[in-house]
Amino acid sequence: MNALDIELVSVSKSYASMAVVKDIDLAIPQGEFVSILGPSGCGKTTTLNMIAGFTAPSHGDIRIKGRSQVRVPPERRNIGLVFQNYALFPHMTVTENVAFGLKMKGVRRDEAETTVKSALRSVHLEGMGERYPRELSGGQQQRVALARAIAPRPSVLLLDEPLSNLDLKLREAMRIELKEIQQQLGMTFVYVTHDQEEAMAMSDRVVVMWQGAIAQEGQPAALYREPNSRFVADFIGKSNILSVTSAATKAAHLELAVGDDLILKAHKAELAGEIRYCSIRPESIAVLPPAAGGSGCANLLDATVRRVVNLGAAFEIDADLGSDVRLHVLLRATRASVPPKVGDAIRLGIDDADIQPLCA
Amino acid sequence: MNRLISILYWISLGTVLCFITLPLIVVVAASLSPTSAVTLQPWEWTGRWYADLWSSRWLDPFLASVKIATVVAAISGVLGLFAAYAVVYERIPGSDALMSCLLSPLSVPQIVKGVAIVLFLSMIGLQGFLGTPALIAAHVVLALPFVTRMVATSLANFDANLDRAAQILGAGKLQRIRLVVLPMIKPGVLSGVTFAFIISFNNIPLSVFLVRPGDSTLPITVINYLEYSLDPVLAAVNVASMAFILTVIFLFEKIGGFSAQLHGGSK
Repeated sequence: MNALDIELVSVSKSYASMAVVKDIDLAIPQGEFVSILGPSGCGKTTTLNMIAGFTAPSHGDIRIKGRSQVRVPPERRNIGLVFQNYALFPHMTVTENVAFGLKMKGVRRDEAETTVKSALRSVHLEGMGERYPRELSGGQQQRVALARAIAPRPSVLLLDEPLSNLDLKLREAMRIELKEIQQQLGMTFVYVTHDQEEAMAMSDRVVVMWQGAIAQEGQPAALYREPNSRFVADFIGKSNILSVTSAATKAAHLELAVGDDLILKAHKAELAGEIRYCSIRPESIAVLPPAAGGSGCANLLDATVRRVVNLGAAFEIDADLGSDVRLHVLLRATRASVPPKVGDAIRLGIDDADIQPLCA
Repeated sequence: MNRLISILYWISLGTVLCFITLPLIVVVAASLSPTSAVTLQPWEWTGRWYADLWSSRWLDPFLASVKIATVVAAISGVLGLFAAYAVVYERIPGSDALMSCLLSPLSVPQIVKGVAIVLFLSMIGLQGFLGTPALIAAHVVLALPFVTRMVATSLANFDANLDRAAQILGAGKLQRIRLVVLPMIKPGVLSGVTFAFIISFNNIPLSVFLVRPGDSTLPITVINYLEYSLDPVLAAVNVASMAFILTVIFLFEKIGGFSAQLHGGSK
């Protein structure tokens, strides 16, 4: 177990009577890439500002490397921060920007010069040192902001939606690069974003926030596979979410009643409350010819194709199961595959493990 | 249609520019007038009126005006900077009320202000302050709203994230002000200071109540002279002070003032 870099202990923040962050507990080990993911207004930026020290928590404690930071001002927390709008100093050159933190730390001039050079090298901006921020493209400014934040070697780097102002191609390239830089430096990254793809692509761990509280946290794959709530299932990836009218444990399965008279067989699961929904990922549903046999699927359901959308790499099929149940199915396009047409009768196969029961 | 609009545009622009500059050209022409009456004779001119400018009659009030304007620019620059910083940036309690208070001198006519200041000084027994000290104080009151307003505008455009970025990089408050805030709002401060200088240097309605014999500013001396005689030396004085003001504007522009403020950029 690594040492903990950041600990939030029952941290809350309210403005007037509005609770923005509600009793959050979070422990981030050293060297981890953690994303705080949530829709706008979920309290993720407030949480980040509390870690940085710009906002004081109403309750609770924030510790960095075991020491309480509540009374420590931002300038003495030894944290790096990459802003959404980069916040580069427009009156300074790239080199002066990157050297700023070192200068504030009182690092010797020659040593600072070496550090600035290596920081610029790690973000692939060698030879740009004499330029001013306004002479750089958005992507380059983003890199300068990153270099400036990592140059003083902070114990933790906070990133506030740093890629949201870049175009899609650049964003995807920067994802990979960010992750590489993080691994090279071995620095703890806390990455705040509303983009679930970004969070999934880079993080060792994702913390999903909703309405000021942590909805779920875990490894990206686990969150995707086993969301614990309707909100998480819907927010991370795409999902079919069905209302469950009743649930019963029968022999090997958990039987969930959905729609008017449909029964889905799910894996037996220990759930704290009453099961109210279930989630099925579109790509986990198999499309079979009508009246096809078992093939090991716990659920074989007859359906009619209502709509087919060609997404290039896949077909999105809207299937009507009757009794008021509709499922989105993602069928991977292969050279041989012929997608069903609207009106075709098909059979859908769903593995019991792919049906995730949800309480909330 | 577009062509018509374009023609109208150039005509109106030209008219406005002529309206502004022609009187200045007339003054320049008058200052070169060969006769002692103020006349316009472009084909005959003399520079002798300018030689008079070096007499202490004109040089002393000019130097006094420069001295007063410089002190006023410095004081109102510093005060305006502090005021705007407290009100716009730190948003201290009662900021809005304070800002209205700081801008309130604008809404009082200068003559009323002049009378009020004279009455006030004699009421508290400080008539001795009339002359340079009273002029400086009054001009600061007059110039402060302009400086505060200009600094406030550039502070309002200042991205608070820059301050935060500097802070998270380890800069304390004074370092942030010195290394980030001040360089960013420099154009606003410089144009505010330039305005203060010009306002003080050119002022008549306020100064006229506060000067003392032998301790007068240039514009007041011009007015007094005008009461008894009208000759081209006045035009020469005005041309000289116009040239001086243009030089001041040019100098501040060089350090990074007006156009940077107008274009909202920073160097």
